[in-house]
Amino acid sequence: MNPLRRLLGTDTLLPYWLLLPSVAYLVVFFVLPLSQAFLLAFRTDDGQLTLKFFERMVNDAKFKDALKYTFLLTVIVVPIQLATALVIALLVNTGFRGSRLFLYLCAIPLGISDLAAGLVWYSIFTGRGYLNSVLYSLGIIDKPFHFLSYENIPWMFGAIVAAEHWRATAIVLVILIAGLQMISKDYLEAAEVLGAGRLKKLWYVVLPLLKPSLQAALIIRTIFAFEVFAVVIALAGDLIPVLASESYWWYALYRNLHVAAAYGVLLMALSITVTWGYLRFLRTREEVRGLA
Amino acid sequence: MSMRRLWGKLLLYGVVAAISLWVLVPLVLIGLASFTPREEIYRWPKPFLPSRFSTETMSFFLGAHGVLPSTLNSIWVALLTIGFTLAIGAPAGYALARFVFRGREAFRLGILITKMFPIPLLAIPLIVTFIKWGIYDTLLGVAFIHTAMALPFAVLITTSIFVGVPRDLEESAMTLGCSRLGAFLRVVLPLALPGLAAAAMFTFVVSWNEVFAAAILTLSNRTLPAQILTSLEVSPVYFKFAGGFFMILPALIFMFFMRRYLLQMWGVAAER
Amino acid sequence: MKSVKILGLVLLLAVVGVLFAFSGPQKIVFYSTQLRPIEEAEWVRGTLLPPFTEETGIAVEFVPDEYSPWADRLIAEYKAWKETGKCGVDLAGGLHGDFMGVLETPEKELRFIDLSDKLAELSADRTFIESFVELGKMGGIQAHIPWMQATYLLVINKRALGYLPEGADIWRLTYGDLLEWAKNIYEATGEKKFGIPVGPKSLLHRFVHGYLYPSFTRSTVKKFKSPEAIKLWEYAKELWQYVHPEAAKWDAMAEPLLEKAVWIAWDHTARVKKAIESFPKDFIAVPSPAGPLGRGFISVLAGLGIPKAACDPDSAGKLIEYLTRPDVQVTTLEGVGFFPVVEEAAAVVPVGPMRVLADGVTAQAAAYDAIVAMIPGGLGARAGEFSKIYRDTFTEIVIKGRPIEEVLEEQGKLLAELYRDTGAPCPLPDDPTEAPCIPEGF
Repeated sequence: MNPLRRLLGTDTLLPYWLLLPSVAYLVVFFVLPLSQAFLLAFRTDDGQLTLKFFERMVNDAKFKDALKYTFLLTVIVVPIQLATALVIALLVNTGFRGSRLFLYLCAIPLGISDLAAGLVWYSIFTGRGYLNSVLYSLGIIDKPFHFLSYENIPWMFGAIVAAEHWRATAIVLVILIAGLQMISKDYLEAAEVLGAGRLKKLWYVVLPLLKPSLQAALIIRTIFAFEVFAVVIALAGDLIPVLASESYWWYALYRNLHVAAAYGVLLMALSITVTWGYLRFLRTREEVRGLA
Repeated sequence: MSMRRLWGKLLLYGVVAAISLWVLVPLVLIGLASFTPREEIYRWPKPFLPSRFSTETMSFFLGAHGVLPSTLNSIWVALLTIGFTLAIGAPAGYALARFVFRGREAFRLGILITKMFPIPLLAIPLIVTFIKWGIYDTLLGVAFIHTAMALPFAVLITTSIFVGVPRDLEESAMTLGCSRLGAFLRVVLPLALPGLAAAAMFTFVVSWNEVFAAAILTLSNRTLPAQILTSLEVSPVYFKFAGGFFMILPALIFMFFMRRYLLQMWGVAAER
Repeated sequence: MKSVKILGLVLLLAVVGVLFAFSGPQKIVFYSTQLRPIEEAEWVRGTLLPPFTEETGIAVEFVPDEYSPWADRLIAEYKAWKETGKCGVDLAGGLHGDFMGVLETPEKELRFIDLSDKLAELSADRTFIESFVELGKMGGIQAHIPWMQATYLLVINKRALGYLPEGADIWRLTYGDLLEWAKNIYEATGEKKFGIPVGPKSLLHRFVHGYLYPSFTRSTVKKFKSPEAIKLWEYAKELWQYVHPEAAKWDAMAEPLLEKAVWIAWDHTARVKKAIESFPKDFIAVPSPAGPLGRGFISVLAGLGIPKAACDPDSAGKLIEYLTRPDVQVTTLEGVGFFPVVEEAAAVVPVGPMRVLADGVTAQAAAYDAIVAMIPGGLGARAGEFSKIYRDTFTEIVIKGRPIEEVLEEQGKLLAELYRDTGAPCPLPDDPTEAPCIPEGF
């Protein structure tokens, strides 16, 4: 066998060749930007190491608000979504007539970009939008209530919560559904044989076995929540700063790549911290993991 | 049927109906808004059904400066992304599906770790890199980063697709004299095609929807989401409505076609 | 004899041939920081320049670019020209502040040709606005010739006139009048019909540093934190109460005016153009209001300069002549909403939307209490941070209601740091010879 054939054809080396493009690509487009981001955030244009970009970021009038709103959004939206997604997943799992269709319906938002979702909810919450029209026809208000105005920042925030909840629940949903489907029917049958009612089955069998999926869903959803961007801009402009939008404005408007990169580094640190936190405090027990 | 079961069923269907409405109504509303004639858009209170359906709002949007070019750009970027992603990711998926080898778990872990990279962290430094390479403000550059974002998913999805093709079929083909590549092309690929098509559609949607990187890495060659985002504050209300609807449209269509694979792809991809 | 005749004929043909080759279609490069948006650039290529090419046979390649790359290229081309004689762009178009940034090398050499002669030549048949010509005199030469101007002013829907306070003259409004006017409308209709653009990409910062600050403090940077500034912010907070609730979503006032969401709007002439063009009879454009110390306004002046490294300075000079003709100035106004810098042009503006705006612009520039402010120059790539400071000051004090002193102290520090880092000079109405421009008290 000629040497090239041997190199490419053996079963031992072939997988590595097949993986090579992906590995190379990911190194170039993840590791390279990462190191470049650190260089941008910590080094001036003349090559001096400095903390001044982080200082500028932290001393900015909008920094505290950006942190606050990012955290607030995450802390509020993620639990609500988890609960909603769980309800939907359990419902679908009962296999009622039309459950497949219901599942597809609930999964539609997966294909909707956060910008589009922002615009969809903009049409509802805007001064001359649908919500105001409904409230008017119900006699609750007599002239448009400006949900999306600086006068009503809490309402504006609420609109963002509604839009994010609507858009991203599907992400959590599909993870949970996949997890539910993997729970072997044997356990459920065994529980039934032992006399467990529906609720008991749920609490003692389903939820513990679902823990890995819940953990995965929480991690993913939380990381995505930190990156929230277009929904906020579509609904609130720059009145409600969040970390990703501040990163964007620092580049697109104020033309300072260094501070923009600093925000990026901050976001990364937050993602890592949160992942570590979830993995540590939501540790799934060995037996459970082994079973599932 | 007992009273209790009847109530149970009513509750079930009630909740299902409520949730279904919650998902559907906003979509219907933006659809209605996009087909409302322009004078009525500013009307208040807004009637749910416009007095007449009109395509003038949508055609104004489509004719507005930059919309058609950026739509074409978005399509082009998505197609490039699909090409790159499948070309690079499918072999990796095949490797993970068929072989057991050292480094397998490490690779899998690597894929997971990429999820923790926030988009701003990736996109901002790439500005500098792309300028150096001369691809800043090009569709190719955007396709590169979209591929990077879609690749992890693609690898995981194609892995599960190839796992779903029985190994025996391939092996029989090889015993009958096919080379590995031949067996792959003749046996595995045709069977994997529906799954790969779904993966392609999924990648299309991801690329079509992406906003942050596209807005950062383009100036004059914008994709549709970047174009809409950068003109949000100067665009009239009808532009926003029509734009929102137009952006959802391909997603809705594709979601319909790939519904069977949805769970498989997102669930597997996200969980592992 | 015959051979001499043949030789002569051949020589003649050769000379003609050479002349012919040299008078073929020439091309010059017009490199500009203005008219960058795609629609405007297309208009330049498709409407503004073709008549010039037809008339002179010189083709023009119009290349718009942002300030940073524009400056980098001009600097690099001068260097290459000095070292190797390689020539570069022929005509440079930019804001006055842009030219300030690229005129002098660190060794005090000038990168641009002195256009005094050209100016004298042109002044034979047209009158440039004197103050603009003066601005173009930098480094001891006429560095740029005025090209076009833009400004920001108030646009009023005639409906609002019924609520004008007693004794107020719309051509000479004060900020106090404006406040009362907006208040009257609110009390009568229950709606806030006054608007300023507060969106992320709006020109709010220009309103703050180029209109409010000069009118209340006769300064932009130096008196950032001063007793007069505090009065300014107290006024701004009061005025804000009557600003439309969705102002924070607007980057431009054309749509809100069209939707009749607001009846009185402040914005850049180009950003209200669409509204006035749609309904010219409904709107009037008037000078911005005056504060306690005068009527502050920004004059955005764009000029034309010829780099020393230009390949074809003569053709560039011809293009300058073309662009500053009164009728071409009017074409420019109608095309992109930038106003003439040549007095004869005003007489040629046809009645209609542009006349509406032109009247306002002229009245503002000619106001007896005018305080001219300039967009700060010399900040280079960090100009965006200057704008951010004034924007954030507005947001923090007026929208979020934080204490005035605290915010001025906080943002003033950032402003001082910015100027120390860049060493930039003060923008008018502060003293432009002072550099770096450190706000008082920092």
